[in-house]
Amino acid sequence: MFFHIILERNMQLHPRHFGRNLRDNLVAKLMKDVEGTCSGRHGFVVAITGIENIGKGLIRDGTGFVTFPVKYQCVVFRPFKGEILEAVVTMVNKMGFFAEAGPVQIFVSNHLIPDDMEFQSGDMPNYTTSDGSVKIQKDSEVRLKIIGTRVDATEIFCIGTIKDDFLGVINDPATA
Amino acid sequence: MTLVTDSPVHSSSSEDFASFLDTHLTSTASDSSANEDSDGEEDLESKRVKRHKVEVLDIPENTHEPTTGAGTSKIEDICAHPGTFGNMCILCGQRIDEDSSVSLGYIHKGLRLANEEIVRLRNADTKNLLSRKRLYLILDLDHTLLNSTLLFHMNSEEEYLKSRADSLQDIENGNLFMLEHMRMMTKLRPYVRQFLKEASQLFEMYIYTMGDRPYAREMAKLLDPRNEYFNAKVISRDDGTQKHQKGLDVVLGQESAVLILDDTENAWIKHKDNVILMERYHFFASSCQQFGFSCKSLSELKSDESETDGALAAVLRVLKRAHSLFFDELGDSLPNRDVREVLKTVRKEILQGCKIVFSRVFPTSFPAESHQLWKMAEQLGATCLVELDDSVTHVVATDPKTEKSRWAVKEKKFLVHPQWIEATFYLWKRLPEDNYSVNQL
Ligand SMILES: [Mg+2]
Ligand SMILES: [Zn+2]
Repeated sequence: MFFHIILERNMQLHPRHFGRNLRDNLVAKLMKDVEGTCSGRHGFVVAITGIENIGKGLIRDGTGFVTFPVKYQCVVFRPFKGEILEAVVTMVNKMGFFAEAGPVQIFVSNHLIPDDMEFQSGDMPNYTTSDGSVKIQKDSEVRLKIIGTRVDATEIFCIGTIKDDFLGVINDPATA
Repeated sequence: MTLVTDSPVHSSSSEDFASFLDTHLTSTASDSSANEDSDGEEDLESKRVKRHKVEVLDIPENTHEPTTGAGTSKIEDICAHPGTFGNMCILCGQRIDEDSSVSLGYIHKGLRLANEEIVRLRNADTKNLLSRKRLYLILDLDHTLLNSTLLFHMNSEEEYLKSRADSLQDIENGNLFMLEHMRMMTKLRPYVRQFLKEASQLFEMYIYTMGDRPYAREMAKLLDPRNEYFNAKVISRDDGTQKHQKGLDVVLGQESAVLILDDTENAWIKHKDNVILMERYHFFASSCQQFGFSCKSLSELKSDESETDGALAAVLRVLKRAHSLFFDELGDSLPNRDVREVLKTVRKEILQGCKIVFSRVFPTSFPAESHQLWKMAEQLGATCLVELDDSVTHVVATDPKTEKSRWAVKEKKFLVHPQWIEATFYLWKRLPEDNYSVNQL
């Protein structure tokens, strides 16, 4: 799920960045530091959309660096239990398959793949229905349901299932 | 100047937001699944019964599979937790920190499976593989498929190699590579490309090395630049379950269908019968030194092992023979066949028809039948005799002047040194007797 939220961060800036471009420099550094990283329980910061407020700078003893508290608006992505996600399959094996939704790694075990889909090994391992009409392989796009998430400071892991109505392949790379 | 990293501030408002989401979303999720339950209870029950019928045939222990996965707490309670990904159960999604399962990090970071689950997968996978007329083949890297050296271990006589390294842009057509970022040079064993190509038709192949993961991955790239053979089947010492030992516990194949190529038998204490021991490939001087050889290395001699008559070509013949015996000539039903027995049969074909008499090779009081050489000769399919008779084909001796040795010369029988038996045993082929004549050695 995506959220538009306000986060806060203390930014340290070298004195050489001071002057009339101070604000631009602060924002540029903030984007570089924050976008694409996983921010604890909030999830992945996708993009900074605006600056709420930049507080008064505090000079650090001895270094000349100044710390500014910056409040910023951003879009974050964080999966939740029960959420339906679309993801791209990255690896298929006899245990199930791995998929990615942006930076989130999802594993769908073969226990949670419908019973009528069977694993086929070979050069392009896949799960296929007995009539061959539906196939999950590397680069397939699937719709899955999250049944567990673990959000770390730097990574998000998910357990998914496609054993439910309206879940499974939404785009087959072979026929696309 | 030191760089100071920014410290994120956990403002109270954003923390509140995260916890609000956590509680709100969890409660709605369980709400909705509770509704589902009451709506479709009958349905759920019948589905479960149906699935039960199907699964009882092959996976009897697997009776508590959840139908929706999410939220239904009853199912979580009885989940067997067959494995974890990122410390969450792959079946119920529950957080599991205490974990006695086996790490399968070589397949994917963060993946672990419980023992019973590995056994279940192994059985299913082996069945599937056998139906495709394939067996498992586990390949060691160093001294088996290739030889590597650190650059600073290379001596002046090997210096010329550095300008002869093949391009990393065209790995498929090279066999000598300079890996500057690892400060290493690697030489692939002659015939290895043809070997992998042909073996991949008969076997599902794994790499299993005592090297670390970055090294294993790098070597896999050199051996398999198109990623046709070893996809997610590269096991390094970082993935094993025991120090200094290689084991089949992380391999998803049954022992009875696994063959192993390795130059170090002691790495496989529990699986000796699966191992085909390889003659060591020493290309670089540092490698010879490490094993205590004082002779010139192949690199110093600007020479190499034979392409068509080297160890890999020889072992490929053994593998092909074992494969064809296993699938085409055994009478048992597939699941009852054992490749370890097949390997013994292949070995027995090597000296079939040979009748061997030993002359003063064993100490006089030593029971001949329990001597290593006697046993080797028998495992190679030869018949060992104590007394000479007309049917004898070989006399094995170290001294050309014994009575039996002289008889052999007179009767135009082979007179060979005991090393002929050892070499034949380890190289899996009957070696020319002339190279092991007793006078020469
Ligand atoms: Mg080795
Ligand atoms: Zn579980």
